[in-house]
Amino acid sequence: VSRVLLVGLGDVGLRAARQLVETEGIDRVLLAGHRNRTVAHLAETFGDRAEASEFRPGDALPEVDAVACALPDDLDVRVVTTAVEQGIPVASCADAAPTIDRLRALGPTARSREVTVALGCGLAPGLSDVLARHAASAFDEVDEIGVARFGCSGPASVASVRAERSAPARDWYDGAWRSTARPAEEIVWFPEPIGARDCRTVTAGVALLVDAFPGVPCVGVRLGEPQRRRIGVRRRVGDEGEWGATRVEVYGRRGRERAVVVYGVIEHTAVATGTVLALTAAQLCGAGGATIHRPGVHGLAALVDPVPFLAELASRGVRVATFEGAAVG
Amino acid sequence: MKAFRRVMLVLGVAGIIGGVARFRSKTPVPRSQGGWRELEGPDFR
Repeated sequence: VSRVLLVGLGDVGLRAARQLVETEGIDRVLLAGHRNRTVAHLAETFGDRAEASEFRPGDALPEVDAVACALPDDLDVRVVTTAVEQGIPVASCADAAPTIDRLRALGPTARSREVTVALGCGLAPGLSDVLARHAASAFDEVDEIGVARFGCSGPASVASVRAERSAPARDWYDGAWRSTARPAEEIVWFPEPIGARDCRTVTAGVALLVDAFPGVPCVGVRLGEPQRRRIGVRRRVGDEGEWGATRVEVYGRRGRERAVVVYGVIEHTAVATGTVLALTAAQLCGAGGATIHRPGVHGLAALVDPVPFLAELASRGVRVATFEGAAVG
Repeated sequence: MKAFRRVMLVLGVAGIIGGVARFRSKTPVPRSQGGWRELEGPDFR
């Protein structure tokens, strides 16, 4: 009997909950949020497999096979730390660079306790890392990985993106860290309807890619400015939130030829993040078509086999495209 | 009359600065051709 605890029932958590209760091989999904009454009601709407939990960040975790964490930064770190201490595999969708760094620091403890910690289980970092791994397998040697994302999944995500974009950025250039105090905006072409957006180099997610692709000399991540919500416009029930997109470019060599592979995803940001988080948590306990077990703290590029993962995501409605074209001047 | 001239001068200078900023801040868009194709199994290439 596989039991998963989902902590955090915001925009991402709700989508992850729906995915988890519909995953074959998961018998029980424990839901934990900050309002008991709301959680009990939500558990009823998610059917027989869902159950309300009174877990709070900082408490001891209940007996489960995996934890999916959809909380903002500090709370996320508390839950992941507890999971590592108790030896329970955990998936986190935190996307802020300081949070990812704090979680990466748990690596030695996770390895010594034989626990797998999956970081950056969202659109980017997350699905973008899987696509980078998939693209890299098409080359003999990879020279450069570039990831860009547009879109946020909830207020905490908007705050995180704004903080990332306004902070000095670090990318991996020529095999070393390079800092830029005020990165310039650059246009990135996402699939329609997102299209061309100004994006700025950020630090978030770069370290996970550098860890997963040792030897690749250049790795960079860019983020687009979050959309401003129009004053007076409230979200309606059933609203899937704003559209988001990611674009992954991998440059490398096949024989003597230098080539590029470009992948893109367009989806509601919260839906994509919730689906990736749920699938990763499911695979941490052997459900969802594969088993993830690699003790330590890793991004998805180091944890999942891309093709079956992409197939499972496609069956859940999250689809990937490739760009076929060329610059003409 | 003097106040009117000052207002006109301020508006004119603001317009020129705004126009210059508008044109200078436009990021050049590289031309490209092609399009997106959805990936399908079994190999998702």
